[in-house]
Amino acid sequence: MSLEFLSAFKFLKKETFLHNLDPRAKLLLAITYTINALLFQEIVPLILILITLLPIILIGRLFKQWLKSIKGMSFLYIFIIVLNTLFIKDRGLSFAIAMILRISIMISAFSLFFLTVDPNDLTLSLIAMKISYEYAFSFSLAFRFVPTIAIEAQNIMDAQQSRGYEMQKKGIINQIKNLFPLLVPLIISSIKRAFNVAEALESRAFGSKKERTFYFTIKYSTKDWIFTIYLILLSITLIFIKIHFISMPLWFRWGLPV
Amino acid sequence: MKENNSLPLVMMHDVEYIYSNGTVALKRVSLNINKGEFVAIMGQNGAGKTTLIRTINGLIRPTKGEIFLEGENIDSKTIATLSKKVGIIFQNPTHQLFSNTVEDEIKFSLKNLNLDREEIQIKVDKVLKEFNLEKYRKRSPLSLSGGESKKIAVASIICRDPEILVFDEPTLGQDAKEIRFFVKLIHNEIKKGKTIIMVTHSVEFTIEHSPRTILMSGGRIIADGPTKNVLTNEFLVENSSLVLPQIYRLRIELQKIGIDVPKEVVKEQEMIDFLNIYLENKTTSIPEGRLN
Repeated sequence: MSLEFLSAFKFLKKETFLHNLDPRAKLLLAITYTINALLFQEIVPLILILITLLPIILIGRLFKQWLKSIKGMSFLYIFIIVLNTLFIKDRGLSFAIAMILRISIMISAFSLFFLTVDPNDLTLSLIAMKISYEYAFSFSLAFRFVPTIAIEAQNIMDAQQSRGYEMQKKGIINQIKNLFPLLVPLIISSIKRAFNVAEALESRAFGSKKERTFYFTIKYSTKDWIFTIYLILLSITLIFIKIHFISMPLWFRWGLPV
Repeated sequence: MKENNSLPLVMMHDVEYIYSNGTVALKRVSLNINKGEFVAIMGQNGAGKTTLIRTINGLIRPTKGEIFLEGENIDSKTIATLSKKVGIIFQNPTHQLFSNTVEDEIKFSLKNLNLDREEIQIKVDKVLKEFNLEKYRKRSPLSLSGGESKKIAVASIICRDPEILVFDEPTLGQDAKEIRFFVKLIHNEIKKGKTIIMVTHSVEFTIEHSPRTILMSGGRIIADGPTKNVLTNEFLVENSSLVLPQIYRLRIELQKIGIDVPKEVVKEQEMIDFLNIYLENKTTSIPEGRLN
């Protein structure tokens, strides 16, 4: 098992238009694209939505990581295709492809968010959204520990495999049972780490003062507003199409015969 | 099997490993380890030690080069097969303990060996006795102290009776009594004909117990030879973020005041023996007049 696709969600510092946007604008991107994807169940409009994401990915110079995140989900895609074509009698394959596109859009939007938002800025933007510092901080702390836990999971897997643990087992019950040797150590060490982090924070006087100041500040600038307007216009257009879907040209509703 | 007896147990030939992010962890690593050897692998953090030991049981497949175990290429063998021959004991015991009782924890390691119920029970009893863990048999492994959970981690590998035992930082965080137990255990395993590979930062432990040392730096092997030669080479030691062994430093200090300690003296006991003999000779040979 490879945890490599997790790297598609890990922040990398770069100097691009997308990276320099305010984290709130990028959160808006993830949310609007998720909503847009949920509006449609047809292949053509979903492809069009995905295409509108491509220039954003290219601007952020993230094409490689984006491909990785899509590849990482490939086993899920196969799952969707098999289940849908088996159980949906009427045009199951078309529906499966539409669902894959829908998931791809959501994953792309969120991976764009995680790839381009510095966890530190995330705290700042949450505070700017009037969320209290304690919650904002623990939220960003959770992000910061995702790669750490991924490494830990790999170490646990190595340790168990060294004593004869096998990943593949026959039967669903055996497969679930087989997760215990991995999940129990992972949960226990995560809890232990949480306590350690809490102690380390308290020994540095975390939360000693209600009001705190920040060294860095973030500002919603002109380029953020331009980006926001683009997102809003796109969403309005798509909602318009959705409402008047019946009067749209026929090719818009095109699907595979199966 | 017989024809393999002349071959080294582990052979690595030009092994290279590059992580997916581009970091080169191993560069043209070649080494031979014979049956019954006790080898220490040393070097600064990030030198590639942990990557190297992970290649021996297939957890990491080299990007280039070949590894042979008992003369057979391990390329096509599964981790499950290899782990019967190579038992790696990792640094952090909490990474593998998950069962409700210590007994079940040991049993888990034995279940994949195709043994029947009684055989498993016999092996569990034997290893618990050997490790002095019988009193914890029904305790949760997670409720025990650091030293004891390390013992369980080691026991859960030793019970599988692998040919090669690989330890990652075995002495880290252990108290003196636990280290003594570990030393006894290692010598016991060597007597049984097992091969020991140990990754460590402890210069003192290596010079006292391990006859051979492999020194790594930047993914390469920079020295491989008798421990007393490798760890007393000031240039190598300096460049690997290590310190010279205490006894060697003592030897240098003694030489400064005119006591000529022979080069062979590198271990604690050897130094004690030398000084005993030296002082005996000195007191008998010192002219009376000079004592005042």
